[in-house]
Amino acid sequence: MQEIPKPITSLTWDNAALISMKVAKKLNIKNGQMLEISVGDNTINIPAFITPGQNQKSITLELGYGRKFNGRIGNEVGFNVYPLRSSDSPSFILNGSIKVLNETYPLASTQDHHGLEDDKYAAPGFDDLANKEAQSRIPELVKQSTFDYYKDNPDWVQKKVEQHKPDKNRSWADHSMYNPDWDYSKGPQWGMSIDLTSCTSCNACSIACQSENNIPVVGKQQVMNGREMHWIRIDNYFAGDPDNPEVSTQSVACVHCELAPCESVCPVAATTHSSDGVNQMTYNRCLGTRYCANNCPYKVRKFNFYNYTKDLPEVVQMAMNPDVSIRFRGVMEKCTYCYQRISSARITAENEGREIKDGDFQVACQQSCPADAIKFGDINDPNSEVSKAKRRNRDYALLAHLGTAPRTTYLAKIRNQNPMLVSKSQNGSYQ
Amino acid sequence: MSIKSKALIRAEKLLPGNQDFTSITDDIAGVPEQKKTPIQWWLLFGLSLSLLSIFVGSVGFLIWEGTGIWGINNPVFWGWAIINFVWWVGIGHAGTLISAILHLFRQNWRNAINRFAETMTLFAVICALVFPGIHVGRIWVAYWFLPLPNQMGMWPNMRSPLIWDFFAVFTYFTVSLLFWYTGLIPDLATLRDRAKGLKKKVYGFFALGWRGGNRQWQHYELAYLVLAGISTPLVLSVHSVVSSDFATSVIPGWHTTIFPPYFVAGAIYSGFGMVMTLSIIARKVYNLGHIITVEHLDKMAQIMLLTGCMVGYAYSMEFFVAWYSGNPYESFAFVNRALGPYWWGYWAMIFCNVVVPQFFWFEKYRRHIPFLFITSILVNIGMWFERFVIVVITLHRDFMPGAWAMYNPTMWDVAIYLGTFGLFFTGFLLFLRFLPMVSIAEAKLVLPESDPHHGDSHE
Amino acid sequence: MSKYGVIAKFDNPQSLVHAAEKVRDEGFTKFDCHSPFPIHGMDDAMGLKRSKLGYVIGAMGLTGALFGFGLQTWIHSIEYPMNISGKPYFAYPAYAIITFELMVLFSAFGAVFGMMFFNRIPRFHHPVFYSEKFSDVSSDAFYVSIEIDDPKYDESGVIDFLKNIGGTEIEVLTDEN
Repeated sequence: MQEIPKPITSLTWDNAALISMKVAKKLNIKNGQMLEISVGDNTINIPAFITPGQNQKSITLELGYGRKFNGRIGNEVGFNVYPLRSSDSPSFILNGSIKVLNETYPLASTQDHHGLEDDKYAAPGFDDLANKEAQSRIPELVKQSTFDYYKDNPDWVQKKVEQHKPDKNRSWADHSMYNPDWDYSKGPQWGMSIDLTSCTSCNACSIACQSENNIPVVGKQQVMNGREMHWIRIDNYFAGDPDNPEVSTQSVACVHCELAPCESVCPVAATTHSSDGVNQMTYNRCLGTRYCANNCPYKVRKFNFYNYTKDLPEVVQMAMNPDVSIRFRGVMEKCTYCYQRISSARITAENEGREIKDGDFQVACQQSCPADAIKFGDINDPNSEVSKAKRRNRDYALLAHLGTAPRTTYLAKIRNQNPMLVSKSQNGSYQ
Repeated sequence: MSIKSKALIRAEKLLPGNQDFTSITDDIAGVPEQKKTPIQWWLLFGLSLSLLSIFVGSVGFLIWEGTGIWGINNPVFWGWAIINFVWWVGIGHAGTLISAILHLFRQNWRNAINRFAETMTLFAVICALVFPGIHVGRIWVAYWFLPLPNQMGMWPNMRSPLIWDFFAVFTYFTVSLLFWYTGLIPDLATLRDRAKGLKKKVYGFFALGWRGGNRQWQHYELAYLVLAGISTPLVLSVHSVVSSDFATSVIPGWHTTIFPPYFVAGAIYSGFGMVMTLSIIARKVYNLGHIITVEHLDKMAQIMLLTGCMVGYAYSMEFFVAWYSGNPYESFAFVNRALGPYWWGYWAMIFCNVVVPQFFWFEKYRRHIPFLFITSILVNIGMWFERFVIVVITLHRDFMPGAWAMYNPTMWDVAIYLGTFGLFFTGFLLFLRFLPMVSIAEAKLVLPESDPHHGDSHE
Repeated sequence: MSKYGVIAKFDNPQSLVHAAEKVRDEGFTKFDCHSPFPIHGMDDAMGLKRSKLGYVIGAMGLTGALFGFGLQTWIHSIEYPMNISGKPYFAYPAYAIITFELMVLFSAFGAVFGMMFFNRIPRFHHPVFYSEKFSDVSSDAFYVSIEIDDPKYDESGVIDFLKNIGGTEIEVLTDEN
């Protein structure tokens, strides 16, 4: 749990004092700069983390960190903020004061770039370069509109998708350079649909996936090196006014492209396609050139840079999912569509002498999603939940212009905000 | 008129001074025959050996610990290892280019530097081949690259550019080795004929019993010509194939058709830079200024000017096409190179590769040896940055801003890179010590007396 | 002690070429002209036919190309068919590079090992090495050698003939052990 990125900040391992971007600029506070926060006689030291949307006059602190007797993972993680809490005001504390200390503390965030912070190392005078670019990509990646616009233009998503087609008279599959021999019209073909309108970016999918698939916990230092292993991640993007930004979130896992860029570059054919349309990793065959991950436009492939599972205590080893192999150092891994669950459902169905049917099983992320945003099933079955979701007019594929033909598609985000709360700079419309 | 007559007027400036067949043999073969090894050689060799031990140690640690000791991460899955691989392969281009293409064009001036350049090629390609071997996650199964029948019934994926790359570089290495060795056979015979004792046996073994008969030269010359002929498309193909590692991907900044010619030009450029650096050192240490002349350096500088302008053109064309394509991902990839967090890498590349060689328009600079020496080193620094730009800057920000990240190399990245210099120079110095650094047989062809019609007019 | 042939030294490349022409015209077949570097026009002067090495190299190159293309086709179409990026089993454009590389590799082997085959090397003992002076041929000397196997060989006649055409330092190759 320590390594699951927190919603919005994507922070792992530590808690921090979340401060507004404007305050940070004014007081010249950088991410990880230690702050001394005092309320009355009580004082704590805690690193600052600049958070878009944080109110200028407030600081958010998280309870429950900085424990002393919490076992292998929990000890000495984060900062204890209980000293500031009193029975008079357990949740909201007024009249605090902060002092900026001249020291920094490393904080591990899984997302380096979310669209509002400065590009510290850019060429002089271009520190908003990456910002602008990230913001300009939001409408492309996280397709979204206001409810009013959607009511008037129910087909707008489909029109956008069509725009990318090189030739309007041909279907997407015909735009492939090759005419594939592969027949995906028979048998169950697995696919997923993620509804961005329902998604609250809570990260439950991510932790469910981690425990289902024995995904290693890599530790704070490795997260800081950018080596977290989550097979499904939540990307947070911010745009507009830093104090009242338009937030777009998106959960991204392997989208199981039918024409996957990762497969053709593997020198040893360790990643291939199954007949039911799943992009599969053969761990035993992988020798770790990492070329597949470079060529993945979604950057969902994760590499075992070290032997992360080597020093796991026996108790933890026994808590591993026995249906999923543990990956060794030097191999690539990624979302399998919980293939162990697919197999087990198929075996059960075969034993019962029937076809596998919709609802026989759920994949881990789908099962854990509190908003029911994730649908998974057979896209050849027109009555499956996933087929129904994919038939909706909000359906689109991520980076469809690359011609990867992903099996996971998204349903565009429709905002229906209270007009009084709408960010003035964006106004919820990206059309 | 005797062959040893000193009165011949030499049209060729490439071999100044009063040279004849005997003096060429003595001068060139004299270097490996030295009784006393120069102190500079020992100093350089000691330095190389210590770098080589760094290499062995850090590669050992890498194998023990895993690729995690490097700075690579998600999304920058390839870091210094691949940069160094491409850089060394690039350097390894000059040798075969000089041997093959210039041989086909009958550019006799190449005869003074071709052996040198070919040897440099061999060791540079060895240094390059180290990296694909060690950069993989599971080094102990790296042989799976090979299409070997095995008990698992598994085969490699022949559509992967990495397999192409492996075949191309391996073929290049093998052909270069054969080419180099074929060129060496007559010279080994020379050394054999001049040596005594154990040395005679060793040189004699490798000389294969060469006796300089025309019945041998006939087949030899044809073999050499054909090797030159097939090496020419090969040398052009190798870096094209290396570039396809990048060009066949979907990543903006990699996915470009300009890569193959641009990589080849860059490779020749860096290769000539390295030949220049090494030959300036060698002619100084061994007093071979009359064999590797300023004329040679001038000609190499001209080629560097040409290829430098070609890469400069490629850099600007990449920008133009990124803008002209109207693809926002593509445009950003290039803007980010020039103005993003690694802007200094991009401008270092532009300065070293495009600005610096412009001095070669002027003969004064092409013949100024200290200037050439510094420039040739700058060119290779620039070419290293070019690969840094292509590998790291492209990968660190691609399609999904949510997955963007920075890349920081670790001390192990640096150690292994420095270590390959140890590997390179150890091999190269051993070559200088034991083998003729200029082709004895071919250097004689530059002399006007070697032409059978030369004497006719005097008779 | 047995005899193997006669060698004679010549001054320079052009005298060697002229000597070669005369030896050829005299009808000798088992002779050779030794020089520190290849001499232009010597093949004609000696009356040598074109080297057959080219055919060997061509055959090897073709073998390499066919092997490369065949190997890839066999792997992906027959032995190990896999759905990789939805591409067809027989994805021939992707096979071009390895086909080319193997063609070059095989040709190079053909060139070098073919050259060795035609030159009958490695051969570490050869009668010409019995001559001490002959070792200069790899530096600055030019020699004609006529072997004892030649049908027209006749020791004193050959020595006279070589003298007549300008040879010096004539030596009969003998195994002194």
